[in-house]
Amino acid sequence: MSTGAQIPDDNALAGEYVLGVLPFAERRRVEERMASDSGFATLVASWQADLSNLDDAYQPEMQPSGVKARIDARLFAEAAKPAGGLWGSLVFWRGLAFASFAAAVAFGIYTSDLASPAGPGQAPALVAELGAPGSSVGLIAALDPADGAFTITPAAFSPDDGKSLELWLVPGEGAPVSLGLVPGDGGRLVLDRNLVSQISDGALLAVSVEPLGGSPTGVATGPVVLSGALAKK
Amino acid sequence: MSQDDLSGLIARTALGDRLAFSSLYSQTSAKLFGVALRILKDRGQAEDAIQEVYVRIWRRAGSFRADQASAMAWLVTIARNQAIDLIRARQPATLEYDDAPDIADQAPDPEARAALSGETRRIEGCLGELEADRAAAVVAAYMEGLSYQELAEQYAVPLNTMRTWLRRSLIKLRECMSR
Repeated sequence: MSTGAQIPDDNALAGEYVLGVLPFAERRRVEERMASDSGFATLVASWQADLSNLDDAYQPEMQPSGVKARIDARLFAEAAKPAGGLWGSLVFWRGLAFASFAAAVAFGIYTSDLASPAGPGQAPALVAELGAPGSSVGLIAALDPADGAFTITPAAFSPDDGKSLELWLVPGEGAPVSLGLVPGDGGRLVLDRNLVSQISDGALLAVSVEPLGGSPTGVATGPVVLSGALAKK
Repeated sequence: MSQDDLSGLIARTALGDRLAFSSLYSQTSAKLFGVALRILKDRGQAEDAIQEVYVRIWRRAGSFRADQASAMAWLVTIARNQAIDLIRARQPATLEYDDAPDIADQAPDPEARAALSGETRRIEGCLGELEADRAAAVVAAYMEGLSYQELAEQYAVPLNTMRTWLRRSLIKLRECMSR
């Protein structure tokens, strides 16, 4: 491609990307742009929605029966390795599911706790109820911007099989930012000052399952198990 | 299988529910295999691709948002991207265009841009407003995963001409769908 004296029209570029006509390197550049430019990402999503109306023309095709077994072997054999298990053991997941349920049952109690100020004269300014898709609240995070700390309630999760739960701020654009590990026994999560300034009403929080001590890479490596938006309370 | 049911299976997959994942696979894999086969045109490659597709679905299920895309559209997008990336990886990573195609006269006005986030219109009617061969090129690119180079050869036009055609067609489509 000529070295860009003309800025390509974003609308056409997003359409070209979704159509799939671009060469490999340009596809990667478009994806980088999507990650850093939410307006452009929205344009791509809009094209995807429009062009997906053509998907009906893709005819289903039967495939050999062994494919699913190979997928399972790849995904769950990896999980069974002691060090590689992003996805954890079945026991862990059952425990997490139970903890979410227990948290939901206990929610009424914790709500009344939450209604009282976190400290003398300091009610939490922003509260997020973090839940799993299609299920009830699993965890409540209340941010007091004045002292820069989250109060985490209830942290009924205690992943004791070598996992940690990590709390992330999910910005409108760019990569999620780690806010730290969800305290194993609930309580407070004190944030860096510069992080507090990035958090505002409507900010999205997510909790992912990570190796013990948190993500080794600084980006979420495990599945997101809970998410929710902060709102003024 | 409704979109709601599929969305529920994706949500449960995001929570690590293998039964939901198996159910999602059994209800969608024929469609996604059809997508991969249509683009890759080779059963062995399509089988390899579909494995990667479901590994990605398992890992990315948490990023699916039911209010932003239909469940099947989200799944097909993953399958198309995987298949297209596989063939693009075997082709030149960049193309030598003579110059960036000039489409300034076709640029949408601000009002049309503002409407982009509005209701999604059916694309078929808008394809009907394009010249027949231009509409066919858009559909072939989408369905078959054709590259600019392949489209140019198929329509026996220079690469640049092909790109200008397609980009103008895209802008016209967008204007039509924004009306």
